[in-house]
Amino acid sequence: MNATASQGRPEGRPLLQIRGLRTYFYTESGVAKAVDGVDLDIAQGEVLGLVGESGSGKSVTALSILRLIPDPPGRIVAGEILYRGRDLLKLSRDDIREIRGNEISMVFQEPMTSLNPVFTIGMQVTEVIQAHEQVSRQEAYRRAVEILSEVGIPDPADRMKQYPHHFSGGQRQRVMIAIALVLNPSLLIADEPTTALDVTIQAQILDLMLEMKARRAGASILLITHNLAVVAETCDRVAVMYGGKIQEVASIDALFETPFHPYTVGLLGSIPSVETKARRLTVIPGSVPDILHLPVGCKFVTRCPYAFEPCPDIEPPLIEDAPGHWVRCHLYPHGGTPAVPLPEK
Amino acid sequence: MTENPPALRAPESILRRRVRKFRRLKRGYYSFLIVVGAYLISFFLPFLANNIPLAVRYNGSFYFPLVHYRSAGEFGQRVFGDPDYRALKQQLASAGQGNWVLMPPMPYGPNESLLDLPGTPPNPPSAEHPFGTDDRGRDVLVRLAYGFNISMTFALLVTLVGNALGIAVGASLGYFGGRIDIFGQRGIEIWSSLPFLYVVIIISSIIVPVYFPGRYQLLQPSLWLLVVILAAFDWMGITYYIRGEFYREKAKDYVGAAIATGVSEAGIMFRHILPNALTPVVSFAPFEIVANISALVALDFLGFGLPAPTPSWGELIGQGMENLTKWWLVLYPLGALFLTLLLIVFIGEAVREAFDPKEFSRLR
Repeated sequence: MNATASQGRPEGRPLLQIRGLRTYFYTESGVAKAVDGVDLDIAQGEVLGLVGESGSGKSVTALSILRLIPDPPGRIVAGEILYRGRDLLKLSRDDIREIRGNEISMVFQEPMTSLNPVFTIGMQVTEVIQAHEQVSRQEAYRRAVEILSEVGIPDPADRMKQYPHHFSGGQRQRVMIAIALVLNPSLLIADEPTTALDVTIQAQILDLMLEMKARRAGASILLITHNLAVVAETCDRVAVMYGGKIQEVASIDALFETPFHPYTVGLLGSIPSVETKARRLTVIPGSVPDILHLPVGCKFVTRCPYAFEPCPDIEPPLIEDAPGHWVRCHLYPHGGTPAVPLPEK
Repeated sequence: MTENPPALRAPESILRRRVRKFRRLKRGYYSFLIVVGAYLISFFLPFLANNIPLAVRYNGSFYFPLVHYRSAGEFGQRVFGDPDYRALKQQLASAGQGNWVLMPPMPYGPNESLLDLPGTPPNPPSAEHPFGTDDRGRDVLVRLAYGFNISMTFALLVTLVGNALGIAVGASLGYFGGRIDIFGQRGIEIWSSLPFLYVVIIISSIIVPVYFPGRYQLLQPSLWLLVVILAAFDWMGITYYIRGEFYREKAKDYVGAAIATGVSEAGIMFRHILPNALTPVVSFAPFEIVANISALVALDFLGFGLPAPTPSWGELIGQGMENLTKWWLVLYPLGALFLTLLLIVFIGEAVREAFDPKEFSRLR
């Protein structure tokens, strides 16, 4: 239960500390423990990647930060989310609304449906400004035009008067980023921001996000994705989620050089690379366990090639096995040497 | 590597595009123009069809009896009460002293009994009275015209009040969901199973609104009483649609995105979701107006509607049924009703087609 330590993030006070977060969904067929004890730190100025398969709980973690979990059926049952020392889960509705879009903002996966079809782009950008700041309409309009041109919308003054259906997917995602960043939040949560876009545009959007972050000193990004290539290109640190829990946290170099967790090893083995020429890609056997019936012990036990005696019954703790490199696996009690040797990379 | 920006067009909202499409549907659009035009004109009926003149010049001064009531004695007529302006007009014209009376184009009032016509009322159509007179000698054309205004006003008011209530209830059910939704829906089901006609009959036997002669129809308490009663039984239908729309819309990404930017709950409900949920309201409105016109006609026909002598279509149709041999009392009121309902149904059809979302789903 040592997870409150630094998790290998850069020096400085963490911007956001998630402690023991549990978000459950109460469905008719049972309780789905989508997030079941997540500890995560986001430092000021870093880009943290949160990777995992569908259903691993990464999106629910992100939604929990801004308390956007639909209730019913979802509920945050335990934990705290400290943002600059304030627990977001204890704030009143008005206080959390002040945080949303102003200090922590979010970009969603689907740019095609994330804009209200009946309002002009300009109205939707200025609405955020006016929801949080007492500014005149002219001032809000001026700032909206400014941010739209900053995110690379050509002729922003003209496009302000247009409706979402006049924008392509990539442009809508640019608008979403503009809305998210117009008030200079200190944390941007990007929930699979490029998944729904054309491959050619994905890189542009990622570059745009990094560029916007670079212009805002101290701003952090939590990038949620299932795409390890995206993580490798953009993130400083990575957290790997599986079965509603963080399985491994490491700097980007450490994770790609020496992955600890068998799940991470499997993930990395399943992406093609230039070096592994003609070999077949490795596949993680089996599929994600049913979220209503997760294993008691290690969540990965059903698919782990190295599972041994304690794994099905005892949940391993998240331990710092190398400096800044945390892992949740019974193979790593001994300072970097797994009890069972991992295969050659 | 480009995001291929769509060609810069004049920005056009979905609503404006729908309006443009509605205007292309000629039958509905022209029906709309006719009905709206006739309704607007019908507000000026006191200046178009009335037994009170627009202006009188009598002994050197001007009188405007429509604005200020004048008694018969002021014009030298030896009767008490209302002056007979048509007689006064003839008298002044033949006297030729520069005095005159300017009557409206149709110089008969809606509640005026014309007992000096040859024969006994109801009188058949003539050049003076193209639609004949009813069983109290009142001009049918004038009464139909006034009745049109009352029917439309009434139907619009009921639709407006009923929809406002239905939207408010449906929106809360759909937005909050859960227990509010379940109990709210059961409450609505109980309320809708109340027999509407019995309630109206019971209420009208307890509260008998007074008819204020000469007072403008919108200010008659009887009209408002009926509007409230009908609206109270009219709002349930739309709640189901609005509730469904809110359920669907609140799960959409743009609502989540708006919440994530810190928009207030009221802002989410009314600024973001409501405009996206109004399609069923707009598409149903013409048909609701049809239903409410018919409801008023039915109530008037049964005698539980607006009090006599309000010029109402149901009362005229009732006269037609009592005097089946007087064809003008059957044909004209029913014809007017049929034509009005037909035109509004045409409007409704075109609105429905213009709001059909299928055309727009291709854009996604």
